[in-house]
Amino acid sequence: MYKILEKKEIAMRNTWYKVHAPHVAKKVKPGQFVIVRAFKNGERIPLTPVMWDRDEGWIVLIVFTRGKTTARMANELKPGDEILNIAGPLGNPAEMEKFGKILAIGAYTGIVEVYPIAKAWQELGNDVTTLHVTFEPMVVLKDELERAVGRHVVETVPIDPNLDFPTNMKNVTKRLVEKVREMLEKESYDLVFMVGPTGDQKAVFEVVKEFGVPMKADLHPIMVDGTGMCGACRVTVGGEVKFACIDGPEFDAYEIHWDELIARSGYYTDMEQRAMQEYMKLIEQALQGGEQ
Amino acid sequence: MAVKRKIIKERVPTPERPAEERIKSFVEVNLGYTFELAVKEAERCLQCPYNYAPCIKGCPVHIDIPGFISKLVEYRDDPDKAVKEALSVIWTCNSLPATTGRVCPQEDQCEMNCVMGKVGDKINIGKLERFVADYAREKGIDEELLFEMIPRIEKKGQKVAIIGAGPAGLTAAGELAKLGYDVTIYEALHEAGGVLMYGIPEFRLPKSIVESEIDKLKKLGVKILTDHIVGRTVTIEELLEEYDAVFIGSGAGTPRLINAPGINLNGIYTANEFLTRVNLMKAYLFPEYDTPVKVGKRVVVIGAGNTAMDAARSARRFGSEVIIAYRRGPEDVSARVEEVEHAKEEGIKFEFFVNPVEFIGDGKGNLKAVKFEKMKALDERDSRGKRKIVGTGEYVTIEAETAIIAIGKHPNRLIVNTPGLKVERGRIVVDENLMTSIPGVFAGGDAIRGEATVILAMGDGRMAAKAIHEYLTKKRENGNA
Ligand SMILES: Cc1cc2nc3c(=O)[nH]c(=O)nc-3n(C[C@H](O)[C@H](O)[C@H](O)COP(=O)(O)OP(=O)(O)OC[C@H]3O[C@@H](n4cnc5c(N)ncnc54)[C@H](O)[C@@H]3O)c2cc1C
Ligand SMILES: Cc1cc2nc3c(=O)[nH]c(=O)nc-3n(C[C@H](O)[C@H](O)[C@H](O)COP(=O)(O)OP(=O)(O)OC[C@H]3O[C@@H](n4cnc5c(N)ncnc54)[C@H](O)[C@@H]3O)c2cc1C
Ligand code: SF4
Ligand code: FES
Repeated sequence: MYKILEKKEIAMRNTWYKVHAPHVAKKVKPGQFVIVRAFKNGERIPLTPVMWDRDEGWIVLIVFTRGKTTARMANELKPGDEILNIAGPLGNPAEMEKFGKILAIGAYTGIVEVYPIAKAWQELGNDVTTLHVTFEPMVVLKDELERAVGRHVVETVPIDPNLDFPTNMKNVTKRLVEKVREMLEKESYDLVFMVGPTGDQKAVFEVVKEFGVPMKADLHPIMVDGTGMCGACRVTVGGEVKFACIDGPEFDAYEIHWDELIARSGYYTDMEQRAMQEYMKLIEQALQGGEQ
Repeated sequence: MAVKRKIIKERVPTPERPAEERIKSFVEVNLGYTFELAVKEAERCLQCPYNYAPCIKGCPVHIDIPGFISKLVEYRDDPDKAVKEALSVIWTCNSLPATTGRVCPQEDQCEMNCVMGKVGDKINIGKLERFVADYAREKGIDEELLFEMIPRIEKKGQKVAIIGAGPAGLTAAGELAKLGYDVTIYEALHEAGGVLMYGIPEFRLPKSIVESEIDKLKKLGVKILTDHIVGRTVTIEELLEEYDAVFIGSGAGTPRLINAPGINLNGIYTANEFLTRVNLMKAYLFPEYDTPVKVGKRVVVIGAGNTAMDAARSARRFGSEVIIAYRRGPEDVSARVEEVEHAKEEGIKFEFFVNPVEFIGDGKGNLKAVKFEKMKALDERDSRGKRKIVGTGEYVTIEAETAIIAIGKHPNRLIVNTPGLKVERGRIVVDENLMTSIPGVFAGGDAIRGEATVILAMGDGRMAAKAIHEYLTKKRENGNA
């Protein structure tokens, strides 16, 4: 059991958890992740240690409230509570090399996963520019990134209350693609790296490909065990089936079968929505019960 | 033994829940014996002398089968005493009888050799073993035995790390703890038990039983660190700095896939993923449990081992039509006979001599059908004694929204990548003492055998514990000298 030392909402739908997990803190390297199971009847979900202290034995997770599990974590966990399971660290650490001039992109909460890698790359002597594209109220780690890398660029899109969420998200994708194009036109980079929704990763890749710049992507397929046992996370890379949890999560963007990956990530959408709706009903009932 | 017995040819059957009822839930299928029925079955045993008893020879860990069976008859007037005596006989060789009584392929082991088979039905050894373990657990007799054992343990002051909490690791841990070693298990998942927990379904092996077996180990002082992945959280080299010996019981966890177009379509599960979602994460209780699983109206399970039966019968419990497709013939089905019968009773259909060649999608990334080549058997046999098969060039297509691949597994890659660890064809190589190429590191179970059985894994665990004990005794003596 892993005690929550600190919990705070650092931006809209973005929650910061500082958790005691010495076995992870001792070993974790940039690019690795953990599998968290917060509740007894809960799911196992992959999350990324963003910061850590090896001596004090804690890690920081920053979690975007997306579906039922992440909503339950945001609603039900208090500082002092314990997360049932944190397995890890898992996945291969990001390659620590001198690539030269790097553009590291994070869409939405993806930027938190970029942070430890970009920071380490900069420390290694690379010239790192980070780009964060998201909705206005969802900007996170701005100060930290400004301190950590050569240049940090934030591009935001307002949330239009008259539009539904998917349409709003398309606006983010549009801005993301425009901005990346603009940056690649202005300057030449030796490497582009990106974390964010798979659809956005593919859209960015299409632009990067035009410029012929090498690109790596940290992939987010659905995972269960994270240790190579289940095969849920399989992706086709260079025509071969790879398991993202033990072969990745980072792969060469030019080799990834993007459409297959996008289809696989959406397989449970209907069930996830149902779970979320039923959970919201429970919350509403609880709220009404509380008012009486 | 001298008592003259009347030969009763028929087995005393164990009650089972009817098929129509059981395909609606994950409750256990076989209900097991009562004491009265167990005694009746036990009385049929001819009590072959220990040195001769062919059942003992057939058992991979050589349980004194007539020995434990006789206790049930001898103390028939005192059920508690009968069970306690029987359990202590079993425990000298097997610490998980509630599990092995349920999952061992008895028909190929102890029961295969039973001399009663010459005149009638073989003794139902598996169900008797299971009865002893279940009764003991329900009455707390196993705890009693355990607590009698604990004060006799003499602490050795040496530490052993075990990798993996499957049957191999659990058995090694238990034996070493009984010998007085300080034992810590490193387990990757959030629950101990290995395949017993994540693979074999509730309706065949209730999880509460596995949990209670693990509780007993904890009472013996074994520490279990879940969420610790050796190869990531800690390496074998680091374990060797802290512990005096290491045992690898990491199993064969990596699923084999079929190298055919469309393998990554939605709706195609490895048996491991499907069973992990269903068993370990309890997806059959979604949305009360958060993990989803999708089971189409039509399901094809590819393979015909225990894993395939378990996947098929689990899928059936979601109300689906299920077909087991196997590239060989019925005589080569490797699953336990009881499971095959149960599967048939539950309405699962079998297609033999079909080999998948393509997974056909619906254009949106989801599985629609599986294309198979029809196979035929030759007279020639392969190294495992199975008839060789060849393609006929004819094809059949089976429509299905879900396909579950159950064609085997390789050992866990995170472990086999350890520097200095000798591995052949994915399996860890060991000597006759189960020691690997790294001194002080031992291994057993599926990690060295590829996919095998629970009892073989346990046998390895026991043997390794013995070898580790010898190794550490020498180390102690040298250290003291
Ligand atoms: C290596 C890796 C690192 C990640 N790091 C972070 C992080 O630091 N912060 C963060 O906010 N998110 C991170 N994620 C994404 C996070 O795992 C998902 O947001 C989370 O699983 C959503 O769960 P849910 O129940 O709230 O949503 P759901 O409603 O269940 O799902 C919404 C979507 O989330 C994704 N998802 C759902 N379950 C899983 C799963 N078991 N594995 C992977 N994806 C899933 C799917 O795309 C799904 O369509 C990471 C994912 C991966 C693979
Ligand atoms: C669905 C299914 C049904 C089966 N049915 C039967 C049956 O009816 N009868 C029978 O006799 N056999 C059956 N088998 C086979 C039997 O379960 C195995 O032979 C047996 O479990 C092997 O035991 P083990 O201890 O070697 O490995 P496992 O049971 O596989 O346990 C290995 C453990 O090690 C952990 N682990 C792996 N890698 C690491 C790591 N790097 N660090 C830490 N921990 C790690 C795993 O999480 C797991 O808990 C079945 C198998 C399956 C999959
Ligand atoms: S072989 Fe059969 S009859 Fe003989 S002791 Fe074993 S179980 Fe009893
Ligand atoms: S998540 Fe199970 S194999 Fe990668």
